[in-house]
Formats: sequence, structure tokens, C-alpha cells
Amino acid sequence: MDRKEILSELKKVLAPYTESKEMLDGINEDTDLIKDLKINSANLVDIIIDAEAQYNIEIDFDAAEKMYNVGNCIDVISDKINKTA
Amino acid sequence: MISAGNDIVALNLVDKQRTVLPAFYSKFITPAELSLHQESTISFENFVWLLWSVKESAYKYFKRGDEYLVFSPSKLIVERLFVSTLTDQDHLRADQPIDAYYEGTVSNGTHTLNFKSAINNRFIATIINEGDVYWGVQTIADSDYHTQSEAVRLLALAKLNDIIIADELWIDKHSSGYPYIVNGSHPLQTPISFAHHGCYVSYAFQLPK
Repeated sequence: MDRKEILSELKKVLAPYTESKEMLDGINEDTDLIKDLKINSANLVDIIIDAEAQYNIEIDFDAAEKMYNVGNCIDVISDKINKTA
Repeated sequence: MISAGNDIVALNLVDKQRTVLPAFYSKFITPAELSLHQESTISFENFVWLLWSVKESAYKYFKRGDEYLVFSPSKLIVERLFVSTLTDQDHLRADQPIDAYYEGTVSNGTHTLNFKSAINNRFIATIINEGDVYWGVQTIADSDYHTQSEAVRLLALAKLNDIIIADELWIDKHSSGYPYIVNGSHPLQTPISFAHHGCYVSYAFQLPK
């Protein structure tokens, strides 16, 4: 799965947690989950759990704390997918 | 460093079944912190979200002194947690009855901060309680981001105008994301923190000594 495919799937993971649907359609690797997508921080763990299910991976403590913007999310997911492949 | 940090969790918006799953809470609660629950009478669901709100509050407090700080809840450790009460020194204004108060300490490994939390069946509100902290919680009609943002500013400014003699107080936002109070064109040395979740907004600010 390349970064473009991960980004496409990531939109589905983020969709339930943002009111900014237009912003979600136009997200790129610099998009900040809280500042740009207005996702409440209380949902960050939900997003990590949902991403684990979506990509069939496990995201640990240290990796989870990097997932504050879309590019970092893709880095972490890509790394975990490659390790489980 | 004088700073401010707070958080609020709307309990109607959390997934209660997911909250109690180890796969969920273990993302940000350490085994040592879990032992704090065994010593308390708080429900486990509320314990999980109480710790979350403490860690979020501490992050906001530390962020003001380190603009590159990233939220790492598993590295902010709640070390003490105990039942508390509201005292004459507390400046809490809430439009909902509070069922219980908790206090404790949270550490980033270098600095330890005191916190105080107010809980009822609708929300968990937390402040970092270092010094003379004023805090408030209000219920709002709409939960969209714009309404939350506007409501929390109005709520805080109403209180600020009660206790600070100023020409024109308003709230600006630092490039790092945290709010600060301005009097006319002069930033005040009164750190302020905002939080909102669902239909609840909350502020905390600390007056200089």
C-alpha cells in the first residue's frame, strides 16, 4: 500500500471525527488533525484504534504520539504495514 | 514559569464500551497509573477520562513554554489522585452542579504540577492548579466549533472584566495555538487556557502573584 492509498483510507478513519468535511476532502500531508480538521483531542485515541482496525496493525505508545498531522499518521501506518508484511 | 492549562470531556460523547478496553486506555495510561484507580472509588470510565483530561491540561500548561512540544499523554504521568472539595481559595464558576472534586499531581519527568478536577454525570473538567487560578464551565446550545470558540471567549472575558481593570480586553491566538489576553494593544501577563467538547466550554486563567 503506497502513501496515496494510505491517505485515501485515512480519510475514512478521520471522517467520523471532523465537522470540516470540505477540509477533509482536501487534506494533504501537512494537514493538522486538531488545528485544521478541528478534531477534538479526546478523539485522538479513537482515531488510533480505528486506524489499527482499518490497516490491521498495532500502534504502540511511542508511535501514537507522532500522529498529530496527516503526514505523521501516514509515516506511522506505512512503517507498521511494512513490518507486518 | 507561569502558565495555564485546562481540559473538559463531555461524557455523552465518549464511547463508554471502548473506554474500558485495555486496547484503548493502555494507549495513554501506564500500569503504575492504573494502580491509582484501585485506591479510589471513582468509576473506571470516569477514571480513564479524568486521567486524559489531566494529561491534556498538563500538555497545554507546558506547551506555553515550549512551542515545539508534542502531546505525549503516555509521558505525562499522574502520580497522585485523591478526593477533594471546593475551598474558599477555588475560583470555580460552573452552571451545572458538581458531584465530586479530585486533586493530585502530574509530572513530565522534570516538573510536577498540581491539578484539580470537577466531575458530574455530564462532564469532567480539569485545571492545572498552580497559583491563583480562575476557572469556569458553561453549557452551550450548539456544539459546532465556531460556537464553542466564541462562547468560551465570551465566558472568559466576562470573568476577566469582573476582576481586571482594563480599557479593552480581547483574546488573541499565538502562532503555537494557545490563546492570550490583550488589553488594547498590550498582551497581559495573565496566561489563559480554553477547552471545549460537545456542548461544554471551559476556561482557566492564572493571575500573576
